[in-house]
Amino acid sequence: MRSRIRGLSLIFVGLAAVSSFFLWPTSSANSVKRRGIDSQDVFTPAHPTILDSLREFIGWRETPVQPLAFTHRKHIENQIACTACHKGVNQGPSAGIPDINVCMRCHTFFAKDRPEIKKLAGIFDSGQDITWQRVYGFSPSAHVKFNHAPHIHASVDCSVCHGDVKSMTVAVRAVNLNMGFCLSCHRAKQVSTDCVTCHF
Amino acid sequence: MERRDFLKVSVLTGATAALSGCEKPAHTLVRFIPEEDLIPSVATWKPSVCTLCPAGCGLMVRVLPGEAEVVRNGKLGTIQMGLAKKLEGNPNHPVNWGKLCARGQAGLQITYHPDRVRSPLKRSGPRGSGSFQPVTWEESIREVVSKLQELQSQNQSESLRFVSACLRGQRHELVRKFLSAFGAPAAMVFDPLDEPVLRQANLLSFGQADMPSFDLAHTGYVISFGADFLGTWNSPVAQSIAYGEMRQGRPGNRAKFVQVEQRMSQTGANADEWIAPRAGTEGAMALGLAHVILKEKLRPAADNKATRLIAGWSQGLAEYSPEQVERKTGVPAQRIQRLAHEMAAHLPAVAIIGGLPLAHTNGLFNALAVNALNTLLGSVGMPGGLFFTPQPPSENAGSWSSESDFASVLLAGKLDGTKVLLLHNANPVFATPAVWKVRETLDRIPFIVSFGSFVDETSQLADLILPDHSPLESWLHDVPKSGTNQAVVSLAAPAMLPLHDTRAMPDTLLEIAHQIGGEAAKALPWENFQEMLQASMAPLRTADGINPPPDPEKFWSKVQEQGGWWSDKVRQAARSAIPQKQLVTEFAPPQFDGEESSFPFHFQPYVSQAVLDGSLAHLPWMQEMPDALSTVMWGTWVEINPKTAQKLAIEQDDLVEVRSQHGKLLAPLLVSPGIAFDVVAMPMGQGHESFGRYASGRGANPMTILAPMQVAETGSLAWASTRVQVSKVGKAKLALFSGGLFERPSELQQR
Repeated sequence: MRSRIRGLSLIFVGLAAVSSFFLWPTSSANSVKRRGIDSQDVFTPAHPTILDSLREFIGWRETPVQPLAFTHRKHIENQIACTACHKGVNQGPSAGIPDINVCMRCHTFFAKDRPEIKKLAGIFDSGQDITWQRVYGFSPSAHVKFNHAPHIHASVDCSVCHGDVKSMTVAVRAVNLNMGFCLSCHRAKQVSTDCVTCHF
Repeated sequence: MERRDFLKVSVLTGATAALSGCEKPAHTLVRFIPEEDLIPSVATWKPSVCTLCPAGCGLMVRVLPGEAEVVRNGKLGTIQMGLAKKLEGNPNHPVNWGKLCARGQAGLQITYHPDRVRSPLKRSGPRGSGSFQPVTWEESIREVVSKLQELQSQNQSESLRFVSACLRGQRHELVRKFLSAFGAPAAMVFDPLDEPVLRQANLLSFGQADMPSFDLAHTGYVISFGADFLGTWNSPVAQSIAYGEMRQGRPGNRAKFVQVEQRMSQTGANADEWIAPRAGTEGAMALGLAHVILKEKLRPAADNKATRLIAGWSQGLAEYSPEQVERKTGVPAQRIQRLAHEMAAHLPAVAIIGGLPLAHTNGLFNALAVNALNTLLGSVGMPGGLFFTPQPPSENAGSWSSESDFASVLLAGKLDGTKVLLLHNANPVFATPAVWKVRETLDRIPFIVSFGSFVDETSQLADLILPDHSPLESWLHDVPKSGTNQAVVSLAAPAMLPLHDTRAMPDTLLEIAHQIGGEAAKALPWENFQEMLQASMAPLRTADGINPPPDPEKFWSKVQEQGGWWSDKVRQAARSAIPQKQLVTEFAPPQFDGEESSFPFHFQPYVSQAVLDGSLAHLPWMQEMPDALSTVMWGTWVEINPKTAQKLAIEQDDLVEVRSQHGKLLAPLLVSPGIAFDVVAMPMGQGHESFGRYASGRGANPMTILAPMQVAETGSLAWASTRVQVSKVGKAKLALFSGGLFERPSELQQR
């Protein structure tokens, strides 16, 4: 009995040691805080904890919590095209998240009584923009610079990478956007697979 | 403990441990609503104008939407806005043709500088303490208006004074109109980069009180007396482009370039021949060359306005024979002979004068001598020679002559009655001799307002700071006075929205005028500066003779799109020469302050290629930029000849005290072979007490120890007339990028 307890306590101590090892802040922990651009801190792609590095390695990203319960499905049902809000997708690298002015163009008039729209109007009246949390993106250490425009010009539909947005409420990463996914399409369409096409 | 409890505890601990890593602090900064339509990640290039030196080059600004941290209504947050990312030259601008100097590139740092004044400030402690507190625009403008109305009601409008660097274009017009309508005296100019002695000489010799331009691209021979024309003088980018064409644009013809100065400048390092006459004798040397040309009839004898100003010219300059000139200047007679023959054999030839030779007590004589030489060479108004940039018909001719010089006003005691002083782009407390006591004089003025973006030595004395936008956030209008043979009006809309709670100085002045009412409001009817600029462009619509003239709206768009208006079809307007008393000059040896026995060295401060007169010392890129000749960064130095250093038993990196009769300073020593034995030189611009984190408490300011000597017949400070002594007081360390002027340290010991 005693030896069992000793054994278990050893396991417990081992577990505690391992988890604290993973949670121990790395030396760069202090510098990888989200600070303003005026900050004197040096940018580094290092991670705050070892657990974070592990997460990046396996490609695990948590689902962000958005400030408003925006539903894509509702807007697409109302015949609003992707590019009505995500302007710039055929002009440059970034599709862009629309600012609150874009929302208010319609929502000054439509669905004003809905609770989420009331929240929206509240944010607008306080002179602020919605703090949308990023859904898509690559980790800095991947050194990937994705450019939307050539993909739009090649008639790649938004749903190929972003999933069936028509059925989504909040945007989620429905498609696993790893390098293999990109390469399979690039190879199929016989487009450049040179490293420097995306990593520069 | 019981096993169950044990297991519960470990599961809980383990689970908590694993979960705690999941928490990520949400981005809690407020996000403000963007104020413009932006396409993310797509850059546009917008035209602008560089305002950092008198050249007035045209810029292109790369603007990319991005996130900026700003304060709006007292709240800190972020906003998506178009942000200027990079400056380049405007390829179509007739001054710089797409090129840009390092200082122009660094102008980007003004906009994002951490020490920028971000809102109006009111003095909250004793004057000069640097304690300010933020106030609103409404309050601060109201305070200025009430002070000015007080002056008016007491019939004291003439005790309002305005001091700034040389203003041009519509900004100059606005200030002029404001002061004149208010009943205040004309603005005072304080601008160490201006050359009032040369402009006066040009007025006397050629009837134009302007900076000269040089057609170097087509010249066969250029001799420059002290002008750092490839570095900091006049219109350096335009001159450098022309110099490049002179050297490489005509296969087989490199022309010849001779530089005459006591301390090798960045320009002098490019010369084919470098000559160091005695300080202040450049004019005598020029006349020595003229003597040989006249005597040996190498050119037709010239008899005109410029030559009649030189005593003895019509008699063949008998006192300037090569032997006599050798005695005056130290330049061998044979060299003078050879140079004169070379010049005449390689026409077109042109002579340039600028910088130190004009800063001696006989500076005006030196300039007139060179002007006369140029007329003898036939270079005035001819290809390969000297000319004056045409002025666009929209501009007021003679705009330079209405201002008074700040130094003259100060020294004549005329600032003492001032009740309100407005400061714009001027730092006289910094860039003047301590013996002038500028700080003490300004301190006696009851109310000082600065429009500056930074708290420098002068604006630290202000009671109110009404911060201007940075240039990239402003409507800009400029009329270059040199560097091009086209009439140019540079005009640009703001390249980006303002980051902080600042306002364009012209708009602030217009607001003040409107609130004062009366004559001031009537003279300035425009709602804002943009309106005033648009109105000012109207006469140019028909100026270059295009028939039918373009539609006004289209014209205004086109001007903004290209960054201005320019035309080579505008004939130079004939300037009305202000009648001058008959002036005939002869060589007067330069006077120096300090006995040679106690103060053996000529002290030559010079305009720094990194920070100019100190107005750019707050830009870290310029501090970081190694000096072209010495590679020194982030500091000041004193240059001395190796033989002289040996005699004084001092060496590089020694901390030396440079002492004049009027002050002393400490700086590290730099040993340089490119300087005359009896000269000690220092770059201007460092030694700020207050000018932000990058400039304050760094280096030493050579202007402080200067003697209060003046250039004869002008009011200008003769900043080359001070003599000094040099002694070692300790050790310092120069921050050298690449070891300096000697390839190996051992070479330093050998010399």
